[in-house]
Amino acid sequence: MIEADHLSKTFTVHRKDPGLWGSVKSLFRREKVHKHAVREATFRIDEGEIVGLVGANGAGKTTLVKMLAGIIHPTRGDARVLGFRPWERDNRFRRQIALIMGQKAQLWWDLPAADSFLLLKEIYGIPEDRYRTNLDYLARVLEVTKELTIQVRRLSLGERMKMELIAALLHGPRVVYLDEPTIGLDLTAQKAIRDFILAYREQHRPAMILTSHYMEDIERLCRRLLILREGEIVYDGSLAGVVEKYADHKVVTAHLRKMNGAVTRDGLEALGQVDACDDLTIRLRVPRGKVAEAAAELLRRYPVADLAIEEVEIGTIIEKIQRAKGGAP
Amino acid sequence: MRWAVIRDLLTTEIRRRMSYRADFWLSAFSALAVRLAVVWFIVKAVFAGSGRPGIGGYDAQGMLVYYSAAILVGKLVQTTELEQGISQDIYEGALTRYLLYPVPYGVVKYVQQLGALGPAIVQLVLFGAWLPFVVGIPRGFTAAGIAMGIGAIAVANLLQFLITFPIQLIAFWADNVWSLMVMHRFASALLGGMLAPLSLFPDSAQRVLQALPFRYLFAFPVETLLGRISAAEWCAGMVVALAWCGMMALVGRAVWRSGTYQYTGVGI
Repeated sequence: MIEADHLSKTFTVHRKDPGLWGSVKSLFRREKVHKHAVREATFRIDEGEIVGLVGANGAGKTTLVKMLAGIIHPTRGDARVLGFRPWERDNRFRRQIALIMGQKAQLWWDLPAADSFLLLKEIYGIPEDRYRTNLDYLARVLEVTKELTIQVRRLSLGERMKMELIAALLHGPRVVYLDEPTIGLDLTAQKAIRDFILAYREQHRPAMILTSHYMEDIERLCRRLLILREGEIVYDGSLAGVVEKYADHKVVTAHLRKMNGAVTRDGLEALGQVDACDDLTIRLRVPRGKVAEAAAELLRRYPVADLAIEEVEIGTIIEKIQRAKGGAP
Repeated sequence: MRWAVIRDLLTTEIRRRMSYRADFWLSAFSALAVRLAVVWFIVKAVFAGSGRPGIGGYDAQGMLVYYSAAILVGKLVQTTELEQGISQDIYEGALTRYLLYPVPYGVVKYVQQLGALGPAIVQLVLFGAWLPFVVGIPRGFTAAGIAMGIGAIAVANLLQFLITFPIQLIAFWADNVWSLMVMHRFASALLGGMLAPLSLFPDSAQRVLQALPFRYLFAFPVETLLGRISAAEWCAGMVVALAWCGMMALVGRAVWRSGTYQYTGVGI
């Protein structure tokens, strides 16, 4: 459904020195700077997949999505979405995709959402019965039936986002790009949007690309991750796989009963890296191969009330990958 | 593009424009009532001061009628907000929405411009209906002239959009197209007969102006409405105006292709 082959985008921006002299100079000569936003992105996404596109600000996520949606042209490489080159903007392609941008409103603000939906019905050529069915379903699931006739600018942020989702999905797209769909929303609205996306995927099985800075979005919705760092895809694999690949240790936490004498770091360092150590808690980062041994040793040495063995949080691993420069962290 | 899409774009734009009552009345007052009053005082003062019975083939009443008609026609030909809207779409990234829709952007924008005429027409009826009682009904005002005038206004509206479209698209490259728009507005007002009837220009200049597009924006439809242009002259004028429309459409298409090639979707 979505195939990218060495897709790259380089932007040319102009640099201007600060101050008045810099402004005067820029009237005659401007220094050009080339910024590589996406480098050699190669991947494939199939029907029904939701792939999380993760990266720090400026990593190239939105640029990649813009190329795949046909908004901007790549500098190099190729891509096929539903068999079309997106930037050629074939109407058959545009009728089958949707882009939802959490930071950008697509509806007409001065009108009720229902008016915008009627216009979209004609733009996408949606038959009347399918339009009615889709609108009823989407409005009911997102719980905004009563708000359809209220001017968009008077809706809350969460309600507006739900209307944006309806506008984007009304024509039943086979490929959906979700760019920060939960940004700025409260926890309840975030959850509602996530639940809806999952339900929508179950029913319609589109290919979806999701970019988000909220790890909960990624963990709840995506089984596969693409991690971008400075425009390069540094990881393409399962969500579980990123933990195995980049976290060579687990976190072992022991909660202790009251005991005579203090717990000391001596001896613990032989089991793993000590993150916390006091009279009630010991937390160690233990190499994967030594977890059982370390747990047994803790149980033997200390009055353990509770023992937990956990994977490192996915957000922590991704943050580490994003921060690392020039190769794997 | 299907007729239903055009109809819905048109009515959506009309509904959008009508949703702000204060803006509707203020723009009607400032764009029509005030301008008509200013023109009335200036023309009266110029003719009283010069002591001449006619200037450029117009007497005082004829000049008043010309300017009044030019203001009303101008309201139907120029829609300021949409002219700026195209460059704003590019600067703010709102163009993205249109690039996703399976409809051509230029046509959408033109239909929206036509939709914006809805409130303008209501304003014209409200503020223009009493004009014949103030300035009088011009000589040579006929049903055929009105029909030809409506045709000339329709082409003028299209031509104005097609000239403005590529200028606005310069926003793909330049950070501000406002100065270009000011130049275009000034050139079309001066050379198009909005600031003064073209008969005030020397004969040689008038011949050149007949070949340029500006005359067909204001002077041509106004003179047609006022019965100052024969059917043969109207046909010739329409051919020139439509030829300019075709040429500007080609220019717009080329600029659009080149511009969207390097569009970065800033703001999204």
